Amino acid sequence: MAGLIKKTTGLVGLAVSHNAHERLAILYSKILGSVQTMPQDAAYRKYTEQLIKDRLQHVETEPDVQKLEEKINCGQIEEVIFQAECELALSRKMLTWKPWEPLIEEPPANQWKWPI
Amino acid sequence: MAASLVRFVRGGLGRSINVARSSCVLQQHKRLQSSTSDTQPTVRPKDAVIHKQLAAFGEYVSEMLPKYIQQVQVTCYDELEVMIHPDGVVPVLTFLRDHTNAQFRNMIDLTAVDIPTRQNRFEIVYNLLSLRYNSRIRVKTYTDELTPVDSAVPVHIAANWYEREVWDMFGVFFANHPDLRRILTDYGFEGHPFRKDFPLSGYVEVRYDDEVKRVVAEPLELSQEFRKFDLNTPWEVFPAHREAKEAAPKLEAGETPEKK
Repeated sequence: MAGLIKKTTGLVGLAVSHNAHERLAILYSKILGSVQTMPQDAAYRKYTEQLIKDRLQHVETEPDVQKLEEKINCGQIEEVIFQAECELALSRKMLTWKPWEPLIEEPPANQWKWPI
Repeated sequence: MAASLVRFVRGGLGRSINVARSSCVLQQHKRLQSSTSDTQPTVRPKDAVIHKQLAAFGEYVSEMLPKYIQQVQVTCYDELEVMIHPDGVVPVLTFLRDHTNAQFRNMIDLTAVDIPTRQNRFEIVYNLLSLRYNSRIRVKTYTDELTPVDSAVPVHIAANWYEREVWDMFGVFFANHPDLRRILTDYGFEGHPFRKDFPLSGYVEVRYDDEVKRVVAEPLELSQEFRKFDLNTPWEVFPAHREAKEAAPKLEAGETPEKK
């Protein structure tokens, strides 16, 4: 297989990416940028930053796509790109939702009690 | 303790299979033996690993979204349940769909439960599936007859018909739904048949009228009044659901799981 160009991902609607490393690096830096505008102690910021930094480090150190896929271990590289796109969209929405704030309202008494 | 119990149950099964091959008499002997030692032979084996994984993931989610998540629990059948405030439907579902560590991209089911004694009588239940991590999650929220819930259609396109169904059957209004109208009941049907206060016989009956050549609906006439059948048994049916001596383990954000 070495040296052959990948023809398909085998997944409908997901085209083969020829510049996966550049694309991932751009997406990850964008995610980090949007995540770093959140407050320092937000759990979402903490975990996402850690996750994305790990992956970015893999992307920077591993030039071979197949080995990179094994290291990230989250499917084909095109799927990883898709996940990064989703995460970027989510992190931007998170800035408007601010889910790190305290609970908006306690449930009414016995709301979650079962059996009643 | 639990792990040793599981091992014991599995060992017992394997042994009885071996015995079945060899002889019947021996098997009887074994069965007698096991009935003396096993007080609950049909108990479901507990998978401590899966339980712990689910609990850890539940804590992870509730730590990330403390604004919306009121409670997280893992049921006795190893299902993760997240109870959220009704304002958080779209944020929580979007987070579960788009976050890299969750990826619950498929909506399996959306339904409602009617519990008339509660202040918010309807419970809305979302069942999600993550193909990437082969796991499921259940998100629950609540509402009453008048308060609209945010529609999940912008997040999961599959929610469209499910929400129409819930609207039709329970009369829960979904805000921002693209096409909220009845789906299962007949044209011109009145009422929401899955509500607990909807009578079993309904309000109207339909028949074909030969004179007007069409189906007509008339108010219901029963030849016999519907009696109240008292079908409760004098026995305690769900001993497992007795008031727990110790409160069920609730997972709070940041709290370490119990060590057992």
